[in-house]
Amino acid sequence: QDKPVQLKLSSWVPAQHPLNPALQAWADDIKKASNGSITAILFPSEQLGKAFDHYDMARDGIADFSYVNPGYQPGRFPVMAGASLPFLFANGKEGSAAIDDWYRNYAAKEMKDVKYCFAFVHDPGTFHSRKKITLPTDIKGMKVRPATSTVGQLITSLGGTNVQASAPESRDMLERGVADAITFPWGSIGLFGIDKVVKYHMDAPLYVTPFVWVMNKGKYDAMSAGQKKVIDDHCTSEWAQKVAGPWADFEFGGRAKIAAQSGHEVYKLTPEQLDAWRKAAAPSEAQWAESVKKVGEDPKAVMDALKGSLTKYKSAL
Amino acid sequence: MAARSASYMDRAINTIEWLAAIFVGIVALNIFVAVVLRKFFDTSIPDAYDFGRMLLGILIFWGIAATSYRGGHITVDLVWTAAGPRMKRVIDVFATLVLLFVVAVQTAMLFDKVRGTYVDNVLTYDMNIPTWPFYAVAWFGDVCAVLLIAIRTYRLIFHPEQLEEIHPEQKADE
Amino acid sequence: MSPDAVAILGFVALFVLMLLRVPVGMAMGLVGVVGYSYLVGPGPALKLVGQTSMRTVTDYTFGVIPMFMLMGALVSVSGVSRELFKAANSMIGHLRGGLGVATVVACGGFAAICGSSVATAATFSAVAYPEMRRFNYPQSFSTGVIAAGGTLGAILPPSTVLAVYAILTQQDIGKLFMAGIVPGILAMAMYVLTIAIIVKLRPDWLPGGEVKPWSERFKDLRNVWAPLVLFVFVIGGLYGGFFTPTEAGGVGASGAFILGLVRRKLDGPKIREALLSATRTAAAVFTVLIGALLFGYFLTITQSPQKLTEFLTGLGIGRYGVLALIMVMYLVLGCLMDAMAMIILTVPIIFPVIVHLGFDPIWFGVIIVMTVELGLIHPPVGMNVFVIKSVVKDVSFTTIFKGVLPFIVTDIVRLVILIAFPVIALWLPTRMG
Ligand code: NA
Ligand code: NA
Repeated sequence: QDKPVQLKLSSWVPAQHPLNPALQAWADDIKKASNGSITAILFPSEQLGKAFDHYDMARDGIADFSYVNPGYQPGRFPVMAGASLPFLFANGKEGSAAIDDWYRNYAAKEMKDVKYCFAFVHDPGTFHSRKKITLPTDIKGMKVRPATSTVGQLITSLGGTNVQASAPESRDMLERGVADAITFPWGSIGLFGIDKVVKYHMDAPLYVTPFVWVMNKGKYDAMSAGQKKVIDDHCTSEWAQKVAGPWADFEFGGRAKIAAQSGHEVYKLTPEQLDAWRKAAAPSEAQWAESVKKVGEDPKAVMDALKGSLTKYKSAL
Repeated sequence: MAARSASYMDRAINTIEWLAAIFVGIVALNIFVAVVLRKFFDTSIPDAYDFGRMLLGILIFWGIAATSYRGGHITVDLVWTAAGPRMKRVIDVFATLVLLFVVAVQTAMLFDKVRGTYVDNVLTYDMNIPTWPFYAVAWFGDVCAVLLIAIRTYRLIFHPEQLEEIHPEQKADE
Repeated sequence: MSPDAVAILGFVALFVLMLLRVPVGMAMGLVGVVGYSYLVGPGPALKLVGQTSMRTVTDYTFGVIPMFMLMGALVSVSGVSRELFKAANSMIGHLRGGLGVATVVACGGFAAICGSSVATAATFSAVAYPEMRRFNYPQSFSTGVIAAGGTLGAILPPSTVLAVYAILTQQDIGKLFMAGIVPGILAMAMYVLTIAIIVKLRPDWLPGGEVKPWSERFKDLRNVWAPLVLFVFVIGGLYGGFFTPTEAGGVGASGAFILGLVRRKLDGPKIREALLSATRTAAAVFTVLIGALLFGYFLTITQSPQKLTEFLTGLGIGRYGVLALIMVMYLVLGCLMDAMAMIILTVPIIFPVIVHLGFDPIWFGVIIVMTVELGLIHPPVGMNVFVIKSVVKDVSFTTIFKGVLPFIVTDIVRLVILIAFPVIALWLPTRMG
């Protein structure tokens, strides 16, 4: 008979976010598979700690599982930062399986303080702006609220200015002209009311934000062999895709909603325009390569592996 | 001898308080310049956001040092006000000892946090500058807080006449 | 021990420590960490201390607190309160009860640039009290009107307590500030009305002051331009969307500094005094914030906030019944604690209940700040009353409380009006978009 274990799951997104029910379903499946010996309580909305601290919270046992945005701490997880480079992921669901399959090989080293469960992404985000953005040169002189540090570097390299703000503050920033544009996934635009304050939406998968779901090591080590297997069976690429699914669907659905609204312009890029963006992103990639070299990895091998995984799971651009 | 060391302590306390006060001014200046640059020149200080929040951290921990020494924390004075002079002193010594213990633990754990920031190579958002030196300066404010509370405890027990308490009207704001 | 028992024990320990004058923030932190360590383990509990302390003090949005404090402190040392009172006094001071009305109006003007009710009460004890006494106003009325007028500091924007409420509940600070404007003006109007009623009932109690020639009245009125400019600039900038709240604070502090220099009202020692007072008060408030977060994590683990919500909504007394219960609890707590500590300690626990009952979070912010401000003037203890007593030495607590009594009645009437007509608070923020 396995000793009963109760897990504290911590997610920093608000209670009504589509990620939370998916995590709950994941936990319910664990309960079933462990014959009720592993139960869990999900704490959303930063109830156990701030979003920025979630990696440390899993490391220190403040939470048993935590939802981490590695990009919140630029410099700390250089390999993972590669997945936030522009124009890599075509979609969120398959992309989640792809990033997990790829990062699994680096996690033990880069996230050595925790037990890695899986990685996932949201559906690709793009520019939503008050002035139309088609070419990289349009960014010059614009104030942009970037989603990640990598997108921020892209903005700076193109002569734009970064404005930092939390997601709920973003609408105000745009409305007040503190920012002219934001990079956001599509569904969240409606969720945070940003559709009321921007008009133009570039229909191109500019970026994704990588996330990981990690576990406290001590908690895992203290489990019985059977319980460990249940956890391992729930830390897979399939589960990454399953957990990321509802959120990806939600973001993906946002595009059609915005396109259907009057007063909004959703525009595609020509192949030449897309090419110009890829060229513009090259310095960001070079900068990323440097940071990866510093931790003893070969950036080309890392990037090729990521692209290979994206192709394998049908998420390559 | 006692008077000499007392004036030495007072000077140290004043310096710490002054440093904290200067940081408040710097935080305001940072915001002011950032707003002016954005509004009138369409540009920004790189990392103004990160600098702003780390300066805030420095200002608060150095401020906690000054506030703790002067007895400027928010307290519930109901029992204390009603107590006689002897009881008042007992309460004061007890409260200061608890304060000393709590801030000492906090300082030790903050050191752990600063060390973590260094080991994990956490950088600023725009310029990718290491953040640990800022955290270290903030942490040093908390070290000063421990020192000042220790001085406060010592004076409270042995030289209560040397303690300069904050007046209620200077107390935290409601 | 069950988590429920640990939570109850935690509250008991917290109150014992606080009554023994352990700083509120330190007491909450200590109890929170000890409780957390009992339920989860000492390792995670200690890590939580470093993490929470560092994260709180380096949170950019919290920068709004010291910035508005600095603005208020710079305005205070620039002597603005004296100018405001002088202007109001020369306009209406000659009427019966006019000095009292002038005090209320000047308190409101000062409140429009200073975020603290205690600072407002303190500054007018020095400015308005001697003038009222000179014209034989009774001690009780003079101190009472200042204690009540002081609470405008936290109701009218900018307001530190409202900002802290906004941060704790993740509401828009700008919207909360806007929500405070009309209720703040209502509060002023009702205080003036209260004075008018007192004059009606006891015609000889509050004599008229000095009659000044119109030339002098206009000269005094002209001096009001500086605080007016600052208010329009900061609150207008926030409303019109030129700044974020933190920026509004930083720019407001810089504006107060520049205005003070230009008008030659600031010198080295005064600047030093303002910087020091902002640092001290900010540090004290952040200490409580850190402590409250630690205590909050402990309560989360015990799941007591959820249980409280279930309990209160299961009472079957209706949403206004629960609201009334909560407000009575605040009035009782107001016998012990000051406004900031009360807000920080209780809002994380009470807020989910309010949301669950379907009340508007912005409206509740105004209601709750008014309720805790009432705690600052009602007996047996009240911070504003203490502050007045420390400036006006020869007055007893009983006298002050006697003088403040009619204003407490007014405050309660005002609360009822705001609960019946939430639109009074919500009209302006909804127009903001
Ligand atoms: Na105010
Ligand atoms: Na009271």
